[in-house]
Amino acid sequence: MSFDFGSLGAISVISLNFMVPIALTAIGEIFAEKAGVVNIGLEGIMLVGAFFAILVAWNTGNPYMGLLGGVATGLGFGALHAVISVWLKGDQIISGVGLNLFAIGFVPFATFAIWNVSGVFPPVSFSFGRIAEISTPWAPLSYFVPISVGVSILFWYLLKRTRWGYQVRATGENPEAADAVGIDVEKTRIIAVLIGSALAGLAGAYLSIDVVGQVTKDISAGRGFIALATVVFAGWNPLVGLVGALVFGYSQGAATWFAGVPALRDVIPHADYLLSAIPYIATLVVVAIAIGRRNAPKALGVAYKRE
Amino acid sequence: MQSLAEEALRTAAISKTYPDGTQALRGIDFRLAKGEVHGLLGENGAGKTTLSKILSGILRPTSGEIFIRGQKAEARHPKEALKLGVGMVHQHFTLVRDFTAFENILLGTRVNPKGSGAARARQEILDLSKQVGLSVHLDTKIEDLALGAQQRVEILKMLYRKVDVLILDEPTSSLTATETTELFKAIRKLKEEGKSAIFITHKLNEVLEICDQITVLRHGEVSGRTEASKADRKMLARMMVGRDVVFDLVRGPSRPAEPILEVKDLMVKGNRGEEAVKGISFEVRKGEIFGVAGVEGNGQTELEEALCGIRKPSRGTIRLAGADITTLNTGQIRKHSVGLIPEDRRQMGLVLDMTVAENSILGREWEVRFRGRGVALAWVKIRAHASRLIKSFEILVKGPDSPAKSMSGGNQQKVVVSRELADEPDFVMAAQPTRGLDVGATDYIRRLLLKTRDSGKAVLLLSADLDEVLQLSDVIGVMYEGKLIEVGPAEQMTRHRVGLLMGGVRE
Repeated sequence: MSFDFGSLGAISVISLNFMVPIALTAIGEIFAEKAGVVNIGLEGIMLVGAFFAILVAWNTGNPYMGLLGGVATGLGFGALHAVISVWLKGDQIISGVGLNLFAIGFVPFATFAIWNVSGVFPPVSFSFGRIAEISTPWAPLSYFVPISVGVSILFWYLLKRTRWGYQVRATGENPEAADAVGIDVEKTRIIAVLIGSALAGLAGAYLSIDVVGQVTKDISAGRGFIALATVVFAGWNPLVGLVGALVFGYSQGAATWFAGVPALRDVIPHADYLLSAIPYIATLVVVAIAIGRRNAPKALGVAYKRE
Repeated sequence: MQSLAEEALRTAAISKTYPDGTQALRGIDFRLAKGEVHGLLGENGAGKTTLSKILSGILRPTSGEIFIRGQKAEARHPKEALKLGVGMVHQHFTLVRDFTAFENILLGTRVNPKGSGAARARQEILDLSKQVGLSVHLDTKIEDLALGAQQRVEILKMLYRKVDVLILDEPTSSLTATETTELFKAIRKLKEEGKSAIFITHKLNEVLEICDQITVLRHGEVSGRTEASKADRKMLARMMVGRDVVFDLVRGPSRPAEPILEVKDLMVKGNRGEEAVKGISFEVRKGEIFGVAGVEGNGQTELEEALCGIRKPSRGTIRLAGADITTLNTGQIRKHSVGLIPEDRRQMGLVLDMTVAENSILGREWEVRFRGRGVALAWVKIRAHASRLIKSFEILVKGPDSPAKSMSGGNQQKVVVSRELADEPDFVMAAQPTRGLDVGATDYIRRLLLKTRDSGKAVLLLSADLDEVLQLSDVIGVMYEGKLIEVGPAEQMTRHRVGLLMGGVRE
């Protein structure tokens, strides 16, 4: 199999589809971080979102209900994170780690408890009467790709142009200043966390329903963390966040496509393991380059207490 | 009669007990008339800030009532206080540094700075700013504005919200003399328009200059009320401190000996790579205080940091007791007999989250006397050391295990000073040693510096407070734009002359 424009097209479509979960999660997290709350539990939210999406879609037979299930999961976990870190002023990192640990334990347990299978359900990838797709000459393109673009523009506009976005940014930069002029810091932060988490839940649902057609115990595969790296890479700008997600999408798309080239395995032994590491290596590189950027919200990660 | 003027705000028996049991306020009765500037005077910890936070809705009183324009009011949130027309300008400004002045002023209002009402709001703000004489570049980010300009943004922010009562918490603490004059002009304009202001300060001269009425707080109670025209500094200080304060320190004749600090042709770069100190030479002799006066930002900070070893000079030499210390780092310099009192005690002098005991050996933790078994520190000895310092430097704190952040600014500074002076070093550098401190602590620290000098040690005093420099120094140098433009014995450096030199004017 030689590398031609057809392959490039195929890689691109796959990559765009892979861009979606990272884009949605990263953009939501940008919004939450702009309000001053970091959520490193995105990985866990994605994973549990993916699980509940399958549970709902399987029982209702409706993939769209599954997506809603993912969003609802995100909202629920976001509420938990918000209560701990915003309302009770707990440590945001520890709360996020808690979400991740819970997800790692919960999904395999619930998969077994509900369906009596271990690790994967349904055992064979299932088409949930698939979500509408855009056909291209190479591979079907998910409708979530234009939706992600739309979400990115929407959040950019929200943050940069609207009064509410401006209050959100003030809350993340200097909550004292926001409080002094009558902005409800806690409410603003809670809403921002809920939005960010809902998008992560949706990203998980998209993965299980639209991409894989099943839920596995490691379906999120580090995408939550890659999204966190994307936030830094993007300098907290949702438009750049989309570009960052695309970079990661490509590294994954390329890995997937190359894995389907049998000749590669003859040249490099265990090439597929090496290939599947590409997205994570890309993350390291990107973080190393982007680290030390100074436009992080100044009150990021700090609970706001009125003296 | 002032007292018959229309009432803007009144409190009845306001008390506040913090959750940790501290009684910050006890039955405060306070009355502010319309069109009045009312000084709220008191030492740090007297309850001024607590009272103002209650008035502006940040804190709720434990008991007592507030009346605004005769109506009983209960503000649970700054927003509600603003609606009632009471707004506060905090000592540490509550501005979003990343936003422009315009965005900060509109924050929390119904107007979106990128939206349709923005043009009209801008015009309203410009009109307001002209009206009271507070000019501000609306499209500059706060982080690029000088502190004086930031304060103008804060005041405009409140005026745009149409407050009638403006609470100003230590408004001059970070202003230059010129900026203070401008602020006072603006306050007088506001007064003419029938607005009232509460002016919180511990500076006696200012309260006498700008206020109509004065209320003095001490230990959470009202310790005195007076009309400003009938008050003088002595009387106010007595109300504030509870005892007579001697304003004129007695400075005996100096007995200067050989030089201990010799600075030659020193050049130091600032944060932006500019030459902040442009080739200065001076020497400080044993038994004298060398005072460096100057408006802040003329290279004093960079000079201080070069002497401490935090900043490497780009040229020149620094010699201490004959030894070249130009290239040494802070740890190495500290092993000489020096005491370094940095300008920013909260950032550089102390670790606020650590206890007094831990802070009392900061930078001296390598000394043998604090060493325990193996790699451990001898905490029993360290706590005893801290207790001795607390006693001999009259530090007001529960004990060596109290965190530094629980103390008032004056006592925090005493911890720094006690650590640096306890071993009677031969050379002491004190940068802005009394900034933000109350009368009592200021007096104490100034006396200590004089005592150090009288015992034959050398003191280098860097201070933006002209009174302090004139009061303490035997030799005065004036820094202007990175240069020591004049150095002379104190007798020849009159207030008038130093004041002009600080502005770069030679007679």
